[in-house]
Amino acid sequence: MSDVHELVLFQLGARVFAARAADVRRIAGPLVEHEDEAVGETALGRPWDPRRGLVVKASGNERTLLVDGVLGLKAVPESDFQPLPRFVSDVLPTGALAGFAMLDEVPTLVVDLPTLVREGEPGAAGPREETRHA
Amino acid sequence: MREERGSGAPDPAPRAPAGAAEPDAWYFSVRIAGGRYALPAPLVTEVVRLGPLTRLPSSPSFLPGVFTHRGEILPVLDLGELLLRRGTPPRPGARAAIVHAEPWRVAVLSDEIEGLIRVPRRRVGPPPAAQGAAEFLQAVVLDDVGDIAVLDMGRVVSVARSRSVPS
Repeated sequence: MSDVHELVLFQLGARVFAARAADVRRIAGPLVEHEDEAVGETALGRPWDPRRGLVVKASGNERTLLVDGVLGLKAVPESDFQPLPRFVSDVLPTGALAGFAMLDEVPTLVVDLPTLVREGEPGAAGPREETRHA
Repeated sequence: MREERGSGAPDPAPRAPAGAAEPDAWYFSVRIAGGRYALPAPLVTEVVRLGPLTRLPSSPSFLPGVFTHRGEILPVLDLGELLLRRGTPPRPGARAAIVHAEPWRVAVLSDEIEGLIRVPRRRVGPPPAAQGAAEFLQAVVLDDVGDIAVLDMGRVVSVARSRSVPS
């Protein structure tokens, strides 16, 4: 029997994304205690109406990715995951996309949340340099 | 062969007749913005109809999204947008050629698919000096209809990468 991974599904703008539940420390409300912890604009875009936050540990600190909504948790078997196609990883200017999970036969992007929020930090290396294949 | 064969592979290039000096070259030809472009035929594994696209965040304009084909997620490459900045809006059901040039596997979108063409080797020449889309080319061939620019997938991807770096 294949492994099962738990994903958090969240909405950002018009799109639905998934992330490994293990990367999310907790789900926060719309108010972030320390404003500098909040991450709004990322490679995924910007939330239209940030009502929730996904609290992630990145670079030793907690950061809160602001999202439009958290849709829930879903257990997905390993066999329903696919890596990012090589062409996509070669040309996308972000290293925060980990691959796809097939959810109800729809390919849903799985986001590497720690990488996503790190890319937005001041002085972060360009994502292309981090992820580009040799 | 000018028509797709369902979702099957294009016909393999037939062998040259015994005694022939040199086999003909086979290419897979498409039309983009009125121009004719081709890839070496062995790189094109099949012609398919696009399913619903999943768009990708932060993606460059020549990568309109991905779709699922027989359980495999394939990126769609809009060659017109990349080569000439004259994109082909992907329509559901539009035909795309699946190109497998290690390590890349993409569904190439174009204005029109011409299909397989056979050209005598003597009609295959070097690309012109680099200008415009010439940076993508590995050869130019001449058939009964006219010139065809043969694309080098390695260069296509290399230029795609350089154009997708955020400014």
